[in-house]
Amino acid sequence: MRLAGSTSRRVERAAPGRRRRALAVAVHTVLTEAVAGLRRNGLMAAAATTTMTIALVVAGGGFVVSANLAHLAGALEAQVEVVGFFRRDVPPEAQERVLAQTAALEGASAARLVTRAEALRRLQQTYRSMASVPAVLPGNPLPDSIEVRVADPRRIRDVAEALRAMEGVEDVVYGAAVVDRVVALTRAVRVAGLVATALLVGCALVIIVNTIRLTVAARRQEIEIMVLVGASPGFVRGPFLVEGLLQGAVAAASATAVLTAGYLVLAARVAASLPFLPVLAPGAVLPAALAVLWGLGVVVGLGGSEIGLRRYLAA
Amino acid sequence: MIHFDGVGKRYPTGVVALSEVSVRIDPGEFVFLVGPTGSGKSTFLKLVQAIERPTAGRVIVDGDDVGTLPAAGVPGLRRRLGVVFQEFKLLPDRTVADNVAFALRVTGADPAEIGPRVQWALETVGMAGRAGDLPLRLSGGEQQRVCLARAIVTRPRVVLADEPTGNLDPEAAWEIVQLLARINLRGTTVLVSTHNPTLVDILRRRVIELCAGRVVRDEARGLYQSAR
Repeated sequence: MRLAGSTSRRVERAAPGRRRRALAVAVHTVLTEAVAGLRRNGLMAAAATTTMTIALVVAGGGFVVSANLAHLAGALEAQVEVVGFFRRDVPPEAQERVLAQTAALEGASAARLVTRAEALRRLQQTYRSMASVPAVLPGNPLPDSIEVRVADPRRIRDVAEALRAMEGVEDVVYGAAVVDRVVALTRAVRVAGLVATALLVGCALVIIVNTIRLTVAARRQEIEIMVLVGASPGFVRGPFLVEGLLQGAVAAASATAVLTAGYLVLAARVAASLPFLPVLAPGAVLPAALAVLWGLGVVVGLGGSEIGLRRYLAA
Repeated sequence: MIHFDGVGKRYPTGVVALSEVSVRIDPGEFVFLVGPTGSGKSTFLKLVQAIERPTAGRVIVDGDDVGTLPAAGVPGLRRRLGVVFQEFKLLPDRTVADNVAFALRVTGADPAEIGPRVQWALETVGMAGRAGDLPLRLSGGEQQRVCLARAIVTRPRVVLADEPTGNLDPEAAWEIVQLLARINLRGTTVLVSTHNPTLVDILRRRVIELCAGRVVRDEARGLYQSAR
């Protein structure tokens, strides 16, 4: 009985060992076939990887441009503000109360008081011809004011009306027409950026899938023989999926190098020659853009191989 | 080994390729499948390989019911079959030895066994001396012998040959049929579809004739001639 039991246990122990060995053989075969496949079809693999790299650079470039347009729109919106002018008899304490009430308004992102003296200094800085105004006039004709930044320009009317209703505020200006144009422009810029990115990513997707499908189609006889001699679907798929993955990864790595170098150079040049144009720092946009590249390269590389193989695995 | 029981095959296009075919092929038999083009020979072989499924009746191959065999079971069935094609289907960028080894490698054979088995298969078909050559440097007859080596290297229970001599000159065709007969002598069941009357008449083995999808003749030591 004991002998039989120990034999049975030996058999049970041997079975997982055989399975592990079979799995190791399968993984080794899939990897060596994938590498051999890339070596044998080197020219086609290089052409496919180059095509994928170009598609990824275009898609990544679209993403970066779109992100910068959105950033520009945000910067434009951030400059939209409401200015409230106080009556001349409003004391500083009352102005402080208005400041506190304004800062608590929904939609107001920041508020600050501007004294008439500061307003005059700004006027003189902006218009040099006004430098002699204090000498000519008996006093400073400008009123004290409050400047309110609005996070969302669409809420500017609500903020302006609330400010106008506050004690001591004589007049409110915010350039309604300009704000409307800024809102329309920033919305158009954002939508255009998203549409352009979606189109470019879509094009990259189609190009990559079709490129890999072509490389699979060129080896249909190999697949047909594999299927007919009894290779399991996993064995047939394995090398092609690994090849698709490797091609996608190499293309993503190449596109990463091109996009990173290109953006660093361009961002530096724009910052030097067009300092008023807000450009996203490389660290703020490249990680997301590179994630898109790698996602497209690797996932679509795998997916393209699977789609390309599907018709040949149907038999 | 192969049992067709009232088998019918209608393709989705409506074409009826086989109708009420009942045939039993025992282990170790050598069978010629003859008949005019479009008679159903290729469909017969596709059913044996589970490339197609019957739409009526039952096809049993080495104990597996092709009609109900799950997709996961098809590779296992095909590993027990060796297939020889009219157009050879050798991979042009691989050597003769690599082409033969391919069948073992993609079916998960132990890497240590691949070399000796490829050597055995190439010796069996008389191509061991050309192991390092690319297929394009071989004649048609030599390419078909390599194809035969690839079919037997997995030690299948059945060898299927679909018009194996269709692209060969008479001398090369005779060599291939002799090799098939030698493989059959080792106990492997061999099923050959052919249009070559000379080979059928010389060998005098079992002949199954199909016409318009039906078995019209099944003779133990048949001739091609009487099939007309």
